[in-house]
Amino acid sequence: MNWENDVRLRIKAMTAETDNYINLIHAAPCVHTRNILLQQLRDKINEIDFLCGLIFEQVNQISVSPFELCTNKPRIDFTLEELAKFNGKDGNPAYVAVNGTVYDVTENAAWAAATHFGLTAGKDLTDKFASCHGGQSILNKLKVVGKLI
Amino acid sequence: MNKTKPCPEYTARLETARELLNRVREEINKGKLIRQNLVWLELTGCSGNIISLLNGSNPDFKYLISQMTNFMYDNSLMAAEGEKAMEQLMGIYGKEYILAVEGAVATKNNGMYNIIGRWKGKPVTALNVIKMFGEKASHVIALGACASHGGVSAAKPNPSDSVGVQSILKRKVIKLPGCPCHPDWFMGTLAHILLYGEPELDNKDRPVLFYSTLIHDRCPRRSYFDKGIFAQKLGEKTCMFKLGCRGPVTYIDCPIRKWNQYVNWPIEDDTPCIGCAQFGFPDKMEPFITYNTTREVKE
Repeated sequence: MNWENDVRLRIKAMTAETDNYINLIHAAPCVHTRNILLQQLRDKINEIDFLCGLIFEQVNQISVSPFELCTNKPRIDFTLEELAKFNGKDGNPAYVAVNGTVYDVTENAAWAAATHFGLTAGKDLTDKFASCHGGQSILNKLKVVGKLI
Repeated sequence: MNKTKPCPEYTARLETARELLNRVREEINKGKLIRQNLVWLELTGCSGNIISLLNGSNPDFKYLISQMTNFMYDNSLMAAEGEKAMEQLMGIYGKEYILAVEGAVATKNNGMYNIIGRWKGKPVTALNVIKMFGEKASHVIALGACASHGGVSAAKPNPSDSVGVQSILKRKVIKLPGCPCHPDWFMGTLAHILLYGEPELDNKDRPVLFYSTLIHDRCPRRSYFDKGIFAQKLGEKTCMFKLGCRGPVTYIDCPIRKWNQYVNWPIEDDTPCIGCAQFGFPDKMEPFITYNTTREVKE
């Protein structure tokens, strides 16, 4: 199909861009420039991941979080009431549920003080997530802690 | 931080507004550039942006109003008052001008919550004036949080039904969110318009020149975040993420540009970023400070 070819070409171009960013990081004069370049690199990889998702959707959509691969912690089943305790307050970790999966956002940069653009941790944010980040592959960067039942 | 040898990237960034303004100065002196009319409207807000602009230094405000533009109207700074002032404002209608707006637009009761003056005996509301002058301006620049997206004026419970300028106008509005707007963001954008036309904007119509990188990425305390060393209370010199710092989601250049003529900025004074340059500030950025996230409860 035509659009699939376009996506493949785009992925090819973006891997070259990614490579260029890596070269730039090597030459970056200071830690702040490096941080900016790393951020751009993260964005690129995110986009590549999203495009791969588009192509492989029919075949085999794999969305395993890298954290899942390296941790052997057992998954926990949460009810909404149980989830509510993990609101990031008083030393508790901050968890949020999206599409039935419970993620840990305690140390996530966008979740300062366990809040994110007026949202608070300890809740099922499926609809909120879809309205703001629909189509973005940002969930697989988060640590999975269990399922919402 | 080593204060004697700043990062070359920092220095370059800091020069952006100055370089543009020096260029404007040169071109105007050579007669290649014509001074354009500038209308500054203060609507529903605290007038913080004009106060912030008065603190500008590259160049200063005096240069802006006397040599760079024809500063036609600003209700708190112009010499004329009452009907005379309104006459000056209405006199510009039909001519070419750049419009700078600070403050949100109060829409309740047909705009009667904010009357900026009287013209021929009738009250002129902020809503009237933004509709009248907004569509005809060559460029519209919304300064500060209120003009950009409603900001503090539109915060809950919003008794005046205030909205950002964009909600009223069906045209492109260049947005410079921040509470208040840094003088460089405005003067740099204005200089760019005078020299080359509209600067490159991001998908939220903010100039990429100033709004392209996260505070978090240039934060002098970033290494503490990466190592997971978090401040438990104000005054600690480590990362204030767990106190509610919004640096990781806020795109703006405060860490290098700094405030009060490049002297200091919140983080350096142990205050977390409250995300004032973020759309949805202040409601969506709350809580500004929280003490109960990191503190362990001892039983």
